[in-house]
Amino acid sequence: MAEVTPAVEICDLVKDFKTSFRRQMLRAVGGVSIRIEPGEVYGLIGPNGSGKSTTMKALLGLVAPTSGRCAIFGQDSLRVDSRREVGFLPENPYFYKHLSGAETLRFYGKLCGMRGRILEERVSELLVLVDLENARDRRLGGYSKGMLQRIGLAQALVQDPRLLILDEPTAGVDPMGSRQIRDLIFKLRERGITVFLCSHLLEQVQEVCDRVGIIFQGKMVKEGRLEDLIAIEDQTEIVLRDASPELIARITALVAANPETELVRSGKPRTTLERLFLRETQRDAP
Amino acid sequence: MSQTPLSPTRSASGSHAGRISVIASHTFTQLVRMKVFYFLAVFAVITIGSNFFDLPQHAGPEAAGTNILNSIKSWSVGTMTLFSVVFAIVATALLLPKDVEDRTLYTILAKPVPRLDYLAGKLLGVILLVFVSLALMDGLMTAVLQIRSSMILSAQMELAHSRGWSAPEIASMRNDIVSQGPNISLQAAVFVVFLRASIMASLALLISTFSTSTLFTSIISFMIYFIGHFQADARGVFLEAGAGWMTRAIALLVALVLPDFHLFNEFDAVIQGQAFPPMLLGQITGIGLFYAVFYVIASWFIFAEKEF
Repeated sequence: MAEVTPAVEICDLVKDFKTSFRRQMLRAVGGVSIRIEPGEVYGLIGPNGSGKSTTMKALLGLVAPTSGRCAIFGQDSLRVDSRREVGFLPENPYFYKHLSGAETLRFYGKLCGMRGRILEERVSELLVLVDLENARDRRLGGYSKGMLQRIGLAQALVQDPRLLILDEPTAGVDPMGSRQIRDLIFKLRERGITVFLCSHLLEQVQEVCDRVGIIFQGKMVKEGRLEDLIAIEDQTEIVLRDASPELIARITALVAANPETELVRSGKPRTTLERLFLRETQRDAP
Repeated sequence: MSQTPLSPTRSASGSHAGRISVIASHTFTQLVRMKVFYFLAVFAVITIGSNFFDLPQHAGPEAAGTNILNSIKSWSVGTMTLFSVVFAIVATALLLPKDVEDRTLYTILAKPVPRLDYLAGKLLGVILLVFVSLALMDGLMTAVLQIRSSMILSAQMELAHSRGWSAPEIASMRNDIVSQGPNISLQAAVFVVFLRASIMASLALLISTFSTSTLFTSIISFMIYFIGHFQADARGVFLEAGAGWMTRAIALLVALVLPDFHLFNEFDAVIQGQAFPPMLLGQITGIGLFYAVFYVIASWFIFAEKEF
C-alpha cells in the first residue's frame, strides 16, 4: 500500500534567533520533529517561550529554519504553493479595522484567487458558520474579542483548506465562544480537515485532540496519542447513576475483601466550572 | 454556531496581477477610510485664496492679471508637491509596520501570496492614492485657472478695444494670457509632481522593509528627498576638484542609490508660462521609472529574507 503523504511533516527543526548582541544566538527551537497525518487533530502544548509559535511560523514560511525541514502535504513550507491548502489563525489577531466582516472575508478570499458568486456564497456561508451574519456589515473596529477571533477563524477557512493551523484559538474568548470554537474543530475533524493547534488551555486540548506533543525549552519532551499519554494504567474507573447507599457499601466491602486491590477514591464526580457556566447561562438565555 | 456545512470551494490561488490588484485596491480603501481626502478642503482654500494674492505688478497694463494666474499656478503646484510627497512617504511608512504590529501580515502571508505581490500591492495602493489626489487637485486648479484666465481675457480685450490696439497686438496679448492659463505643459508639470511622489513612495517602501518605526522611515525619507534636490550640484563640485576613478565611482553609486531630483525642478519654467520640452519630460519619466523599479527590487530582496 502506498504511503499517505502527511499533512504536516517537521523534521529536526532548529531555529536560532540573533539577540541584540549580534554574536549571541538564542535557540528558540532545537530539533523538533512532528508528523501529522491527514484528518488528525494535533495539539502542541508548552509554556510561554517554549517554541510553539516559532514552530508554527516555520511551518508557514514566516521564519526560515536554521536547519531541518518543514513540509505541508509534501511541499516545502518555504514555497508559496504550500500555503494553498492552509488556513492560519494567529494568536490575538487584529484584522483591518476599517473593513466589515464580509469585506474582510472577501479580501482574504480574493487573495486565494476566489471571485464572483462562488466568493459571495462562501462569505455568507462562513459568516453563518461563525455566527456573525448579523454583524456582516459592521466594521471590525466595533467587534468584541470573541467576534474578532471568530472572523479570524472564518478567514482561515475561506479557501476551504485541508490544513488549519490555530495559534491559541480561544485566547481571550469567553467560555461560550470557546465552546463554539471547540465545536467547530469537531465539525472540521468530521469533514477530514487536519487541525494543528497550540493552546495553553490543556482541558480544551484534551477534549479535541487525537495526538498531543509537549514542547519545553524548544525541545519535544513527550508526544503520542492522547489516550496513551493520560491513561493511568493501574487504575479503573466505574461511574454509577442512582446507586443506593447499600449498593455502594456492598461494592466497597467486596473491594476490601480483595487484598490485591485498593480503593483509591469514591464519591460524587464533579462537573467542570465551564460546563456549569454554560448550563447556567444557556438556561437563562432568551 | 450554526450547523451550516462547509462547502467545497477550493480554487486556484489566482494570478500575480490579481493578487497585486486586490492588495492595491485594499490599501487605497484603507487610506481613503483614514479620511486623507480631507486635505482637499485645505487645497481648495489655498487655490481659491491664491486668486487674491495681489502681487506687485511691474509690467504694463497689457500684462495685467497674468501675475494672478502665476500666483494660482505657483501656489497650487507647490501645494500639490508638498501634499503628494507627504502622502507618499507617510502612507507608505505607516502601512508595513502597522501590518506587522497587528499581525495582519501573518494572515496575508499565510495565504498563497508571494512577498513581492504584497509589496507591489501596497506600493501601488499608495501610488493610486497619490494619483487620485493629484487628479482631484489638478482638476480644481485647472477649473480655477480657466475661470480666472477667461475673466482676465475679457477684461483685457475690452481694454484693448477701448485703446484701439491693432489686431496683431490683440493677438499677442491674447497668446500671452492663454499661455498663462491651463495647458498641456501645466499637466506635464503635474505629471512630474506625480513621478517625484511615486519615487518617494518606493524609497519609503525600501526603508520600511528594514525599519520597524514609521517615524524613522518618514524622517530618513524626507532627508533623502531634500538631499535629492542638491545632490547633483554637490556631485558636480566634488568631481570638478580633480577626482580619481574611485571618487567618480562613489559619486556614481550615490547618484544610483539616492534619487537625483535636479531635473524635476525644471517645471518651474512652466509656472512662468513656458512650454515643457517633450524630451525633458521623457528623460524625467525614464529617471522616475528607474528609481521606482530599483527601489522595489531592493525592497523585495530585503523583504524576501525578513522573518516575522
